[in-house]
Amino acid sequence: MPPGALSRERDVREAYSAHSGELYGFAVRSLDDPGLAEEAVQETFLRAWRAGERFDPEIGSLRTWLFAILRNVVIDLGRARSVRPRVSEGGIEPSVEPLDEALLSWQVEEAMRRIGDDHRRVLVETYYRGRPYAEVASELGVPEGTVKSRVYYGLRALRVVLEEMGYED
Amino acid sequence: MKTENCRDWRESLGAYALGHISMQERAALEAHLEGCPECRAEVNSLSGVALLLPHADPERFGPAPQPSPELGKRIEATIAADRQVIHKRRRRRRFGLALSGGVAAAAVAAVLALVILPGGSELTPRQRVQFASLPSGVTINATLEPHAFGTEIHMYVSGIRSGTLCKVFLRGPGGASYPAGSFRYRWGGDSEAVLSSALDLSRTAAIGVHAGNRTFIAPVDQTSAAIDVHIKGEAT
Ligand SMILES: [Zn+2]
Repeated sequence: MPPGALSRERDVREAYSAHSGELYGFAVRSLDDPGLAEEAVQETFLRAWRAGERFDPEIGSLRTWLFAILRNVVIDLGRARSVRPRVSEGGIEPSVEPLDEALLSWQVEEAMRRIGDDHRRVLVETYYRGRPYAEVASELGVPEGTVKSRVYYGLRALRVVLEEMGYED
Repeated sequence: MKTENCRDWRESLGAYALGHISMQERAALEAHLEGCPECRAEVNSLSGVALLLPHADPERFGPAPQPSPELGKRIEATIAADRQVIHKRRRRRRFGLALSGGVAAAAVAAVLALVILPGGSELTPRQRVQFASLPSGVTINATLEPHAFGTEIHMYVSGIRSGTLCKVFLRGPGGASYPAGSFRYRWGGDSEAVLSSALDLSRTAAIGVHAGNRTFIAPVDQTSAAIDVHIKGEAT
């Protein structure tokens, strides 16, 4: 068996402790059902274990590989639980675009969780709530320039975290 | 001189990328950007991040949801069971290869017999289960297929209220329940859901569905009778 493959139970245990949180987070985000999300994660590790010999760390990270498996599992589960549109009625297969949207949303939300509280706070107040910088500044008891600079460093921090998470545009 | 200038402008670039600066400041900043490739590159990069912000839901910036603590153990158990099945298969394959001629043909026949005979091995054939004693207009059928990981369940449901959450579970020989996942029934035709449970089909005594506030159970080996185990409140 090639080195680095997910071929021993211990490897699975290590992979689980390293990646299950993120995988579960994405599964919840895309399935919107905690129970189903756990099943998706379980099925992902089972498929990964069965295909363990095919995992090649030279090609990509274990995390990326697990996410690719999870993505397929979520597609399968999504198909399974929704009524299949009928072609005769002009229906088409459920699009995978909503899933990619869910992945993107999860990535940005996860990145937001990982940046500092101060940075996230000003981005929430100024961007998501659309509040004036002066108002946010007085609420936080800091100069307006500080709010501005936190917006700047907050966006930079987001960029760094997203890159670490493997986001590519 | 230029670095002096940049230091003045740098911290406005975030607000600029978000479209949060006044017209006057914007004009002055754009004049600086004209002549400063570094700040231009920074704005481009921050604008890329700014474009992602609408994809996030600020209601979800709180602590990340965590799976239940038992999930890891459940996965380990599933994989341990899976490994045993794989080992069994490998042993059988080696055994088969050692045979030759007519003996090999006999071995093939033996394997086929295993596939056909119900119970007692991971080669249990698929089971069709029909739920009986259902409210009128409601149909629930299931097909259970043996897999190395446990049992795959195809559920066919019709006639219940759209949007009803259906939780499926298998019951083992001792009466223990093994969750097989859930799906939401949607109106507009047949609803088929594919679910799975870690319980081996050969050890599965019954399959149950919680739908709305009712639970329906059908024995897996006697496919005719179904028991409505408990009814709370009104029928779904
Ligand atoms: Zn500059």
